[in-house]
Amino acid sequence: MAEKLIEVKNLKKYFDTPKGKLHAVDGVNFSIEKGKTLGLVGESGCGKSTTGRVILRLLDATDGEIIYKGQDIRQLDDKQMRELRKELQIIFQDPFSSLDPRMTVSEIIEEPIKLNKLIANPEQRFERVLELMDLVGLSRRLMNTYPHELDGGRRQRIGIARALALNTQFIICDEPVSALDVSIQAQILNLMKDLQKKLGLTYVFITHDLSVVNHFSDDIAVMYLGKLIEKASSEDLFENPIHPYTKALLSAIPRPSLDNKVEKVILKGEITSPINPRNNCRFANRCNFAEDVCRQSEPKLEEVKPGHFVACHLFKE
Amino acid sequence: MSDSLLKVEDLVIHFETEDGTVEAVNGINIELAKGRTLGLVGETGAGKTTTALSLLKLVPTPPGVVKFGRIHLDGVDVMNTSEKDMEKLRGNIVSMIFQDPMTALNPVITVGDQIAEAIMIHQKVSVAEANEKAKEMLEIVGIPGARSGEFPHQFSGGMKQRVVIAIALSCSPKLLIADEPTTALDVTIQAQVLELMKDLKIKYEMAMLLITHDLGVVAEVCDDVAIMYAGRVVEQGSLREIFKNTKHPYTEGLFNSIPNIDSRKAELKPIRGLMSDPYNLPKGCTFCDRCDYALEICKTEKPKRIDFSETHFSECHLYNDSLDFQLDINKTED
Repeated sequence: MAEKLIEVKNLKKYFDTPKGKLHAVDGVNFSIEKGKTLGLVGESGCGKSTTGRVILRLLDATDGEIIYKGQDIRQLDDKQMRELRKELQIIFQDPFSSLDPRMTVSEIIEEPIKLNKLIANPEQRFERVLELMDLVGLSRRLMNTYPHELDGGRRQRIGIARALALNTQFIICDEPVSALDVSIQAQILNLMKDLQKKLGLTYVFITHDLSVVNHFSDDIAVMYLGKLIEKASSEDLFENPIHPYTKALLSAIPRPSLDNKVEKVILKGEITSPINPRNNCRFANRCNFAEDVCRQSEPKLEEVKPGHFVACHLFKE
Repeated sequence: MSDSLLKVEDLVIHFETEDGTVEAVNGINIELAKGRTLGLVGETGAGKTTTALSLLKLVPTPPGVVKFGRIHLDGVDVMNTSEKDMEKLRGNIVSMIFQDPMTALNPVITVGDQIAEAIMIHQKVSVAEANEKAKEMLEIVGIPGARSGEFPHQFSGGMKQRVVIAIALSCSPKLLIADEPTTALDVTIQAQVLELMKDLKIKYEMAMLLITHDLGVVAEVCDDVAIMYAGRVVEQGSLREIFKNTKHPYTEGLFNSIPNIDSRKAELKPIRGLMSDPYNLPKGCTFCDRCDYALEICKTEKPKRIDFSETHFSECHLYNDSLDFQLDINKTED
């Protein structure tokens, strides 16, 4: 059994809104082993990005534990947290708005090293920047260019270099390739995979694109309205999805192939409001199989076979 | 292809900016018959949207300049039509759906009024009749007519896109231009909207020009496919020809870049490098510096159109000597 790098227990994040409490993340549990990738999948508004931010304490959790290397990072004070941030990083979705337009590429990559006083000597620091640029495949001649001169793929490479600038071990990747063209998307995915192998990184890969996570993740967790509804190894999830929502999600992906067309499950309606949710299965009103029990009580996430967890009343029978 | 609804010939569009000339569209030929759907596929900057905008004479001028080309739309010569007559065409014979439903609607006008507006511009109807028709249109796209008095912010992304579709279809156009209509939507909602568009296409016998970068969407909706790269159609054919008998290395690269959902072992083979700078396109084939098959001739000479069947052509030097040349993608499938 490999060591768990991070474990999230009963994580909750509620937001106050004029209409009531918005349950963005509502009791999420998972753990990731060192060097592995967990894919966190769901539609807009399901709470996947919030989960990512809460784990890094970019947002304060309402309740729950985030255990990183054996200590609950929610209990750390600011100083300890600042120290820990060197290991915990995030890559954002939009490479166009996440970089300072008035800094050059080398300044952007250098900034975290400087701020964290990792390397005091400017020359050595500069060496490190060049090393990072090589690592992510940015040619050195781009050193003095500004972000607006570069395309999305290169900008995302800067984002990755910056995330790797410190002693990074754990990265939350929040839709890192969604804004990129397919040909560039594949380049970035391959790069991230290589870096994981080389540096032993652990990823949480947040995305709405199931074909991307399948390619990338060891385990996949499917989120719906703040809850995990199914969690399994990638292979298992794609071969034997159990939850009706996961099935619908898998079948809804347009497949670029003329063979083996999958029967489409078209869902009714849309995601319901996460404000003051009722105590029932949150998917019940869109589910084609919903029964009375689904509208009356909330299913728990249970292990139905080794490593495969599902929250659905119907599967028990 | 007798019932030609749209015919574009040798279209060339440049953007003349202070920094130089952007060669956005460099000689495009498209033909679309009634009731057919053509997918226009390519990456950001390939010129897909510019091509579509030019069909409605909506290319911003300046800096855009339509250098050359003829566009025939339902018998009308678009290039020689006055702005006033174009207005009669837009929204009536041809409608367009844009990518982002969040910004395509006016936030301070109710959705019902926005649909009715389109109807009143093109048809001689009273306000009451237009409102009635607007409600009908909402029902057709799956939104209760009673919600016609609500504002766009009260709808979700998928529903807003349905409203946009309702506006586009309100005058029963013969051609619908859909520019990435589902890109901003979640997959489950995307499936709903694509299903709706397929149904409506049959119901109204409408032709559709679908602009997308998603070959998955193409496989589901289109009859024919045109692959665009750096302002040219590099390969065009029926859906089957493009997917089963891929001829252009760029098309192959697109297929190889898509993570295959049904087999996680398959390796991603990205196209190396980036699209050429449209300020400064290479002299020869625009794809040659990213192409694994590139020959000497590719650097210096523009490839000519090579026909493989009546509907299938590609612009590539690889087939100069023999049409039997096969790309790797076709070999592995056997």
